[in-house]
Amino acid sequence: MEPLNEGKFRWCKRIILLALIVLCMRLFDLQILKGDDMRKLSEQNRVRIKKILAPRGMVYDRNGKVVADTRPSFNLYVIREDIRDFNQTVDGLAKLLRLDREEIITKLKEARDYPSSFPVKIESDLNMDQVAKVEANKFYLPGVTIQIEPKRNYPYGIMLAHVLGYVSEVSSEELKTKEYKEYAPGDYVGKFGLEKQYEQYLRGIDGAQRVEVDATGREVRVLDTRDPIAGNSLHINIDMDLQVAVEKAFEGKKGGCVVSDPKTGGVLALVSRPAFDPNKLSSGVTKDYWAQISNDKTHPLQNRSTQGRFPPGSTFKMVPALAALDKGIINEHTSFSCSGGFFFGNRTFKCWKKGGHGSVAVRRGIVESCDVFFYNTGLKAGVDRIHDMAKIIGLTKLTGIDLPGEKAGLVPSTEWKQKTFGEKWYEGETVSVAIGQGAVWLTPVQLMQLAAFIANEGVTFKPQIVKRVVAPQGKVLKVFEPVMSANANISKQAIALVRDAMKGVVNEPGGTAYASRLQNINMSGKTGTAQSTSAGLGKGDHAWFVAFAPHENPALAMAVLVEYGGHGASASAPIAKIITQSYLNREQKEVKSAKLDAHR
Amino acid sequence: MHIDKRRFYHLDWYLICNGFALIAVGMLNLVSATRSIDSGPYNLLIKQLAALLVGLVAVAIVLAYDYRLIAGYSKYLYGITLALIIIVLILGTIAGGAKRWLTIAGFAFQPSELMKPVMVLLLATMLHQRKREGEPLTLKDIMLPLVLIFAPCVLILKQPDLGTAVVLLLSCMCMLWFVGITKSAYAVLLGLSAACVPIFWKYLMKPYQKMRILSLLYPDLDPSGYGYHSIQAKIAVGSGGFLGKGYLNGTQHKLHFIPEHHTDFIFTVFGEEWGFIGSILLFLLFVSFMLRCLKISRNTSDELGASIAFGITSVIFIQFTINILMAINLAPVVGIPLPFISYGGSSLISSLIGAGLILNVNMRRYMF
Repeated sequence: MEPLNEGKFRWCKRIILLALIVLCMRLFDLQILKGDDMRKLSEQNRVRIKKILAPRGMVYDRNGKVVADTRPSFNLYVIREDIRDFNQTVDGLAKLLRLDREEIITKLKEARDYPSSFPVKIESDLNMDQVAKVEANKFYLPGVTIQIEPKRNYPYGIMLAHVLGYVSEVSSEELKTKEYKEYAPGDYVGKFGLEKQYEQYLRGIDGAQRVEVDATGREVRVLDTRDPIAGNSLHINIDMDLQVAVEKAFEGKKGGCVVSDPKTGGVLALVSRPAFDPNKLSSGVTKDYWAQISNDKTHPLQNRSTQGRFPPGSTFKMVPALAALDKGIINEHTSFSCSGGFFFGNRTFKCWKKGGHGSVAVRRGIVESCDVFFYNTGLKAGVDRIHDMAKIIGLTKLTGIDLPGEKAGLVPSTEWKQKTFGEKWYEGETVSVAIGQGAVWLTPVQLMQLAAFIANEGVTFKPQIVKRVVAPQGKVLKVFEPVMSANANISKQAIALVRDAMKGVVNEPGGTAYASRLQNINMSGKTGTAQSTSAGLGKGDHAWFVAFAPHENPALAMAVLVEYGGHGASASAPIAKIITQSYLNREQKEVKSAKLDAHR
Repeated sequence: MHIDKRRFYHLDWYLICNGFALIAVGMLNLVSATRSIDSGPYNLLIKQLAALLVGLVAVAIVLAYDYRLIAGYSKYLYGITLALIIIVLILGTIAGGAKRWLTIAGFAFQPSELMKPVMVLLLATMLHQRKREGEPLTLKDIMLPLVLIFAPCVLILKQPDLGTAVVLLLSCMCMLWFVGITKSAYAVLLGLSAACVPIFWKYLMKPYQKMRILSLLYPDLDPSGYGYHSIQAKIAVGSGGFLGKGYLNGTQHKLHFIPEHHTDFIFTVFGEEWGFIGSILLFLLFVSFMLRCLKISRNTSDELGASIAFGITSVIFIQFTINILMAINLAPVVGIPLPFISYGGSSLISSLIGAGLILNVNMRRYMF
């Protein structure tokens, strides 16, 4: 008996066979008739992942002025996979753009661990002329492409250079370290200043594009795109108006200057001269400029304000004064007689005033900066008490300013000498230390903290440049609240006495900085003229001035150093005057206009 | 329950060997296809092997009970599967923009896959109950079964999973044809389908599904989008040539030209690496498997068993044909896996349950 649905099963078999025949015919067509064409298509078929560089975060000053942004730049890449004749491309490029042939080859070699489709950056920031030349000769330069990418830009040029720092391409040595494992050749990385310190915030997240390219490397179509995410922006405490004023005051001079708000530690201005142009250093570093900067004997890459250690000279005198007063070794009436010199051991230590000051107590000792008074006070207190006071103020450690590579100064002690030299301390050395010479070395930012310490009567805050970090969409990611770094438990009277004496330095006839007094504001300060002991690059003394203002309610604390500037009173105090004037006058104007606004 | 040892000898070893051959080809091919996937090649392979194990256990369970007994429970199985599909719609796991998966204890399961054998069981049972000797089924007879099949189809379309819905509807039609319906019923069904097409197009299909169909007809419509993937799939298969590029030597899928190359587009990987010869051999494996299934259906004198076997065969045939046609750019891109070969645990388990049902029918066909 024939099964029930025999006819239907027959149909089923036919349908299955029909399907098989259709499929086989199509395969025959695709794989055998068109097989070679398809194979060629599949070989030419290449998808490349193109990186879209994320712009770095912006940097704004305290009033919202842009101090670092990005602009588009034309960068030249070579994709090794697309090169047909190595010499033709390399020689052609070298000739066209006047590049060093060996340099191009080195750059290509450095990327040998990356896929041959990886674009190797040869030159950045091409000018229009160069772009036109490359585009016109593209046919003869297979493998060469030009990409428009964001480039770091610093609108103020050399101003604020040491604070902002610069970015440059990550080096092949750095790439081998763990720290840079997320970077690829050609990526920019912060190398100095805030750019380095806040790299993790400033750096964005690169996007990517999948692009299909044909056999010559030409982009055929974009398959999909992942947009880059811009870096976070920094809002800094620096006041660009003040910064520009200080930069101008330093024109033609060498040295450093730090101004901060003593109530928060926020850094309002920071200058270091000589400076460099971060725009030039950030554009892939033209070899010449790098050579010029790094071989310059005046070290423009050193941030003198945080890395330069100098003898503080007389600006240091507040430290032995505080040490002796606090421990009751002297009081405000303790006087020493100054005849212009001080005989100790087998030598005479001179006072700057040849004729001498006569009988001097601590206040006049600071106001008129009598050296002999401090020789005596220093000897009475001893170097260790001076060191201990320096430690309380915070002069023996880093201030903690948020810039990379800060260097700590040195205030010696008997223990230090024993440890370092294996020798005992000589009293004669104490005599030098008492006037900020000998083995005392401090940075301008440390001396700024000394001014803040006295201005605040024993309290300091960590110097802070960045106020807050803000995400591209405006979300505040991090706010840097003031961090107290010293809260000294020392005699109130002692500190009040020294503080008042500093007012006298500027505001009393006979005070060493009387010439730099201001009409409507009481600035308090201390001059310093330090002998440069190191085998010099220049001649003469370093001119110092540390100050705070207004005396009654300090809003500024500062240290001004003019390297080889001569007298503190004549070279540095006037700069402090400019700083105080420009900052506080403007502030008063703002208060006035705010009041006027309120009345309207 | 007792297990009659004699039944072991009635197992169709031809079908079993053929099935295992397909699974083995699938696993080997998966090794190649998943090389370029970021989560690591063996991760997916291990998941697939785990699914195979689960599927084999399911086969054992299916074999342990008489298919007539299982068919008796088909409405409950249907109810449970439908409930699972509804749950998926409410709180399913989203992958690739679609809500198809239910994640239980870390395993993602796709209940719509399970609907394939369950629907065959339900339809065979209901049609068998309504069947009168020598007479085709009338429209009235098939009304309720049709409604019961439409319900999950609409829900699955909502996921959206056009492919599974198409497989369910087409195999439902095949079964109706197999059991036999009146001429007037045919006319109504045809009219209904014709009327449904614009409704589907307008209300139930997503724009991308429409794009895929249009791009098959007009490849230049969107050459960088939907048309592009089809072209790249075609290039992959074509570049295999006569002998293929060799196992593990395919290049197209590595470039991520082809989406879903390890699931729905798995044949592009196979075709590229094994070429014309390999592809024909794979087709012959499938054809031999399906013909064997048909033979079992034919040799079963019990109409219920024959219908079940036929239904399962039609599910496998429809999936195989549409999947390959899609890979070689003769059918629009719909999410239909290649049975036993594509990556996807639910699909593998569903196919194994189907094969288990056919073995079950074959094993008990003499026992009335």
